[in-house]
Amino acid sequence: MKEFEFTLKFSFPDADQDPDEYVDALGEAGCDDAIIGIRQKGRVAFQFTREASDAFSAVTSAIQDVKSAIPHAKLIESTPDLVGLTDIANLMGVSRQYLRKLETTKMNFPQPVHSGKTAIWHLFSFLQWYEESLKKPVNLSIKEIASANMQINIAKEWAQLDHNTQSKMSSLGL
Amino acid sequence: MICLEKKHSKKEVEEALGYAEEFGWKVEVGGGHAWGKIYCPYNEKECRCGEFCISSIWSTPKNAGNYAKQIKRVVDNCTIRNNDSEA
Repeated sequence: MKEFEFTLKFSFPDADQDPDEYVDALGEAGCDDAIIGIRQKGRVAFQFTREASDAFSAVTSAIQDVKSAIPHAKLIESTPDLVGLTDIANLMGVSRQYLRKLETTKMNFPQPVHSGKTAIWHLFSFLQWYEESLKKPVNLSIKEIASANMQINIAKEWAQLDHNTQSKMSSLGL
Repeated sequence: MICLEKKHSKKEVEEALGYAEEFGWKVEVGGGHAWGKIYCPYNEKECRCGEFCISSIWSTPKNAGNYAKQIKRVVDNCTIRNNDSEA
């Protein structure tokens, strides 16, 4: 068993519900390995440190525990996954300037998911590139969790597509 | 100076709550089954850490050592981001 650190963010329809009510249910459902943030109305965030055989099981079992306590809760995102350079710098303990330098000088730097005034990457794409192209060590547990989160977040978005669109998109070969 | 009416029974957690207080967080005991709550000092102002500005604290977390680290991380993330916004 390994320990994985990740944060889940959920929304739920009944924004006026007293947090103390669902916090009790969450404790009983097995979320006692998470610190629960209840600052935002209609939202609840969980910073988990969960033991599991692998990252994917850690995140999916945590989602199941939350859903069993608050069945109407909808996953917003599992983090870390989508990140900017500042986030990557904080996660890796390097400077943003260093990452910016890599971005501008390394031809094969990963392509962002979104580029604009701020650019966003999947953390996993960055870590994989950093490890393989620069031959530098990365934190394996962060890499594993970043990979699991990317898949879970993409699956969550994909599930929002209607079936017709899903099949059309599949045939585009993106 | 904030006085706790009741100390957290887990030594590591109690220490982490003290750490939160050093950074101006308010520690409140009671409310439901959970042990209490912590409140970010920048709450309601321009705090950007958002979600964890109010966090619920378990009386019997699964692993007290990990939980203490989680509390400290919430506090650290908050101060880092507040420094960023001032820069």
